[in-house]
Amino acid sequence: MRDGINIANLGIPAVALVTEEFWAQGDFVAQSLGMPAVPRVQLPHPVAGTDTVTMHKIAELVAPTIIQALEGGDD
Amino acid sequence: MTDLLSSADEAQALEDLHQRGCTDGLPVVIPTDDRVARMVLASGQAGDMVLGTMGPGHGVASIEKIAVAAVMAGCLPDYMPVVVAAVKAVIEPAFDLTEMQATTHCTAPLVIVNGPARHNCGPIVSGTGALGPGHRANASIGRALRLTMINIGKARPGSSDMALLGHPGKFTYCLAEDEEGSPFPPLHVSLGFAAEDSVVTVVGAEAPHSVLFAGDGDDPESYAALLDLLAMALANAPSNNAILTGGFATIVLNPEHSAILHKAGLTREDIARELYERCYLTPEMVKRLMPAFAGDNPSRRMAFKGPEQILIMQAGGSGLYSMVMPSWCAGAHSNSAVSIKVEADVFCEIPSFSSA
Repeated sequence: MRDGINIANLGIPAVALVTEEFWAQGDFVAQSLGMPAVPRVQLPHPVAGTDTVTMHKIAELVAPTIIQALEGGDD
Repeated sequence: MTDLLSSADEAQALEDLHQRGCTDGLPVVIPTDDRVARMVLASGQAGDMVLGTMGPGHGVASIEKIAVAAVMAGCLPDYMPVVVAAVKAVIEPAFDLTEMQATTHCTAPLVIVNGPARHNCGPIVSGTGALGPGHRANASIGRALRLTMINIGKARPGSSDMALLGHPGKFTYCLAEDEEGSPFPPLHVSLGFAAEDSVVTVVGAEAPHSVLFAGDGDDPESYAALLDLLAMALANAPSNNAILTGGFATIVLNPEHSAILHKAGLTREDIARELYERCYLTPEMVKRLMPAFAGDNPSRRMAFKGPEQILIMQAGGSGLYSMVMPSWCAGAHSNSAVSIKVEADVFCEIPSFSSA
């Protein structure tokens, strides 16, 4: 979340990928760093240790949303 | 000026503070105007003096807000300089407070106190049961730091403090070094401070891991087994130190274990170097145990960047057990230990306020 905000602060389009378990923390960090509307996309939790097939499925699921967010659309 | 809350009485105020998530779950002393003012006065500094901000909420750590936490924790005004120094330490960028507060790891700041403040701002206990219950200064100083992390840093479990389980040291985690009983120079002297300085060292730490060792008086080489055992506990294979590497860790030697190592001719620096050389994983272990962290061609993985990342102190009662505290060791600065001089000459000479 913090990386996404730091990159956005550099003027580079950014979208933070946040797992559902950390969604509330993402909101907190976005608020505390003064960028509550920073684009973010929710992933299932956990991602760490996920097998390759499942990871590809997740990627296919969220890729359009990530692209939409980077293009400035609603997430 | 800190905003004031109002309640019908102290019992209701306590419930309000619990309800607002401002406590650690235990009852607190209600930080009334008078109590906070007395704590600020004991600091010798203006209440609106700002030490910095505390993440992840980036709240402003003023002397007054720190005083509020000290009152809530049950500190005597005498303890205030140590609390202030501890807050200064965790605010230093090298400590990576924001990331540390938000991690899923269990880490907590361990507060180590050296120098005259152990007596003048306490007593802060270094002997039997120093990390256990029953020692007011140890208990309330560590708790005050935690309350600043909750109420100024805004670390709340599940939303901004993401520790999967945490550990009991997240309530309070403070002790002094047994300088008088140690055969080695005080820790703060080894870190470059003068012996007459009072110093707070804050280091991220897991819960203490016990290390059992009974020396063999007939075997002059038995000290090497103690070093082996300490190293096994310090960088045990599933620890962050062993896997992520490059963070600090703490060793609390009991008097017997200190004496064994000292009798073997080892200085604190020698012990740290011996442990550094023993703390590693082989390429085979890295590949088998942690393929996600192995990379393409794993080599011997040293747990520490150097011996200076292993803090060694003496504390605790006489017996068979020392303690080691591995750490989280992530963050931009690997959650480095930070030592800050206590400004005790300013803070501690207000005897009329020391027994309130």
